Amino acid sequence: MAHAPAVAHGGAHVTSTGTENRKLLMWIFLGSECLFFGSLIATYLVFKHQVIERGIGPFPIDVTIDGKVEHGIFDIPLTSTSTFVLLMSSVTMVLAVYGAHQHRLKMMKLGLLSTMLLGLVFLGFQVYEFRTFGHEGLNLTTNMFGATFFLLTGFHGTHVGVGVLYLGSLLAASFRRNGLGRETGEHVEIAGLYWHFVDIVWIVIFTVLYLIP
Amino acid sequence: MAHGAEHTEQEHGLRPMQYVAIGAGLAVITIIELWISYADLGSLMVPLLLGLSAFKFVVVVGWFMHLRFDHRLYTQAFAASLTLGVLVTLALLTLYWGDAADSIRGYREWLNSG
Amino acid sequence: MATIAGTLAQPTQSGVWSWITTVDHKRIGVLYGVTGFSFFLWGGVLALLMRTQLAVPNGTVIESDRFSQLFTMHALTMIFLAIMPMGAGFFNYMIPLMIGARDVAFPRLNALSYWTFLGGAMILSLSFLFEAPGGGWFNYAPLSERPYSDGLGIDFYVVGLLTLGLSSLMAALNFAVTIINLRAPGMTMMRMPVFVWMTFVISILLILALPPLTVGLIQLLFDRQFGTHFFIATEGGDPLLWQHIFWIFGHPEVYILILPAMGIVSEVLPTFSRKPLFGYPAIVFSGIAIGVLSWVVWSHHMFTTGMGSVPRAVFAVNTMIIGVPTGIKVFNWLATLYGGSIRFTTAMYFAVAFIATFTIGGISGVMHASPPVDSQHQDTYFVVAHLHYVLFGGAIMGIFSGIYYWFPKMTGRFLGETLGRWHFWLLFIGMQMTFFPMHFLGIAGMPRRIYTYDDGLDWGFWNMFATIGSYVLAVSLLFFIWNFFRSMRREPSAPANPWDAPTLEWGTSSPPPEHDFDAIYTVRSREPLWYDRDHGIAAPVATGEHIHLPPPSYYPILIAIGITLLGVGALSHLAISALGGVIAFYGVWGWALEPTD
Ligand code: HEM
Ligand SMILES: [Cu+2]
Repeated sequence: MAHAPAVAHGGAHVTSTGTENRKLLMWIFLGSECLFFGSLIATYLVFKHQVIERGIGPFPIDVTIDGKVEHGIFDIPLTSTSTFVLLMSSVTMVLAVYGAHQHRLKMMKLGLLSTMLLGLVFLGFQVYEFRTFGHEGLNLTTNMFGATFFLLTGFHGTHVGVGVLYLGSLLAASFRRNGLGRETGEHVEIAGLYWHFVDIVWIVIFTVLYLIP
Repeated sequence: MAHGAEHTEQEHGLRPMQYVAIGAGLAVITIIELWISYADLGSLMVPLLLGLSAFKFVVVVGWFMHLRFDHRLYTQAFAASLTLGVLVTLALLTLYWGDAADSIRGYREWLNSG
Repeated sequence: MATIAGTLAQPTQSGVWSWITTVDHKRIGVLYGVTGFSFFLWGGVLALLMRTQLAVPNGTVIESDRFSQLFTMHALTMIFLAIMPMGAGFFNYMIPLMIGARDVAFPRLNALSYWTFLGGAMILSLSFLFEAPGGGWFNYAPLSERPYSDGLGIDFYVVGLLTLGLSSLMAALNFAVTIINLRAPGMTMMRMPVFVWMTFVISILLILALPPLTVGLIQLLFDRQFGTHFFIATEGGDPLLWQHIFWIFGHPEVYILILPAMGIVSEVLPTFSRKPLFGYPAIVFSGIAIGVLSWVVWSHHMFTTGMGSVPRAVFAVNTMIIGVPTGIKVFNWLATLYGGSIRFTTAMYFAVAFIATFTIGGISGVMHASPPVDSQHQDTYFVVAHLHYVLFGGAIMGIFSGIYYWFPKMTGRFLGETLGRWHFWLLFIGMQMTFFPMHFLGIAGMPRRIYTYDDGLDWGFWNMFATIGSYVLAVSLLFFIWNFFRSMRREPSAPANPWDAPTLEWGTSSPPPEHDFDAIYTVRSREPLWYDRDHGIAAPVATGEHIHLPPPSYYPILIAIGITLLGVGALSHLAISALGGVIAFYGVWGWALEPTD
């Protein structure tokens, strides 16, 4: 929704605080998203120990039940790779923003394109991970670990998907005769804020879900 | 509106190679995190991991998302929401992992017992 | 399409299409207000049905399942489809005027919020044609889960609230940015009218409280549609988690309901006391304090769930603390009245009555802040009495005060004072008759949400009394409706500032022109119009600058239709959802590419 129009503000182009309306909207929205992902992460953690107590696998980490070791289902090297991919997409994104602000449109378009591609690669990893887990007997309904895990990472993946569409729309629009118009820098910068946010959510998820046993 | 932003960008933003360098730094931290998760560091592990990921978080927000160079209001808006999100999460976890958990566990045992 | 000030950028339009495509905050405000009031009447009808059933022991008007649907839909209608949108109506109409702006920051987003709200309201209300939700407005698990509620009812609840939440989120984002960034020159934050401040706090609360509810609703949706067990204890889930998530949203939500009324009263009292609001900073900061504290009290709805003693103590103390800023406000309102030269208009009657009844509700609230006391009150009519004193005696009284106060500004006409008195007194008496006896019934042990009760319990008298009261209430609303139509048939006669009020919305004609102000005010004080009057400063005159108004757009309603279809599809067939998704996506593209100058 960041494409809302500029203000009808009696010709005055300064805002009361000097901040840009659309950018402020995006930042406040991202604040709202903090609560969204916070609730999902909280749900995951609430059930984390109870799942092990209940003893119905598969589990995220190695667990010993009645003397038998059940191996954890997470594939850390794989997820580290996809984490790396998403991190790199943030670098390309920041370059796209730089290009947009400096009117280096080729750099901007290349940046947007590579960010999208990296995002798609990340989604590919996620699909692969979900399918592997499925083969190993973990789905939404198996246990609370499955439910909370798929919900959290699934919603993160959805955000990545929306981001790809968002960037794709900007990229497509940038090929029009007058490109993204006078406010190119602002448009790409705001899309960038969204994209980086999705990345930092993953930074948290990666640590809290995957790395901490 | 947009014009102001361009100036800030030129005056306070970083150059492309600096962004790439930051990205490389973040990648290195990720590798360190990976190493920590395999190494046997005992009770140091969780705080270390949390600290490193918080560091990455701050770097992305501060530099990639330009908060460091931007109007303070953006920082305030985001930081306040983030703090609330973290606190609500922690409060909920305290309720579950703290003394509340006992009653919930009792309830579940009672359910399971028949 | 810019033109000279004093004329409109677009020719003034009329007809249905102009309303459908409008992005004018005043028209959107009217849409919100009229829709909200219609749903208020509808929610009242549901309440009357319930009161009729409960009038005598062993009533036979309505059977138990239907009764559950009635109290659920009554509450959902009143909260989400009546009080919130009526509040939003005032935000939309008044906020830009009060801060001296010409529109909100994102006019099309504003229209999108309204149409999405309408879609969500339709989904929720049309559930009566199939199966209405019957799990109470807080919809506790596991009753809300598939094994216990198999029909479509709960799904309507989930989809309806998700849609309404989206609408509120968009509106709240819009108003937060508008208030931060569109203030007239000189209007610092501490010069904003209290109503603007309260709207700001509400926006922030909505932005932060809706996501947890969204997560809870999605989890419930997954439980019901995809076989997860988030809230089913026997399968490893936890019904208490729903309660936590719901009330993390739910408690901020009750302040979202009451803060608009507090803001309105803080405008009405100074105007009709002819003196500035007493303790403006205290009222503002206690409003902020309420906003912050509303995050740390949610478990006072869960004292009887066995949370353990430490959490209970903590939440009890927090809840008692939240009474302090509320009390500060009450005392400041009283001090505003003190020594003023008071004009008793109908708006003033409602504002003063608000203080009284809201205080009673506040007091019973502090009573069940204490866990031992609450274990007696929980799920009895005492709670019903409490919540109606704050919501009816508080929120609704405040909204009526606002209607009488701002009616001349919005329509150029006055509501009749004599009919207004009838409306007020009948409403006030009816309200006390309906809800005060519920305190007695609650203490006598009558549980809430029962569809009937036995003869020997001695609850008959007060129930009959309450039912008579509710009919008095209904009659009072007829007086209001009569008053409304009578005024609307008159010629407009209201001057720009009929009440000699101090805030900027009265600094333009009644009703305001489409561009709101011919020239933007410079604000020099908290009571700008009084200051200018006393210092002999003339109203600013149009300078001939170009006034740009955003052109009308049909993309908002198109996107809203898409969003609504997404929801409808989740209730029926996924193909409809897919269609909705395509429409919404198309709409977003059209929106983004549409020229706005
Ligand atoms: C027109 C006057 C009104 C009457 C006669 C009335 C009557 C009732 C009745 C009989 C109940 C059901 C009690 C039960 O058995 O659980 C109820 C519940 C409720 N009412 Fe009202 N009400 C009125 C106005 C309002 C308003 C303006 C609100 C605004 C929010 C409201 C909010 C609620 C809520 C939240 C509940 C609790 C629903 C639940 O527990 O599921 N009511 N009311
Ligand atoms: Cu509460």
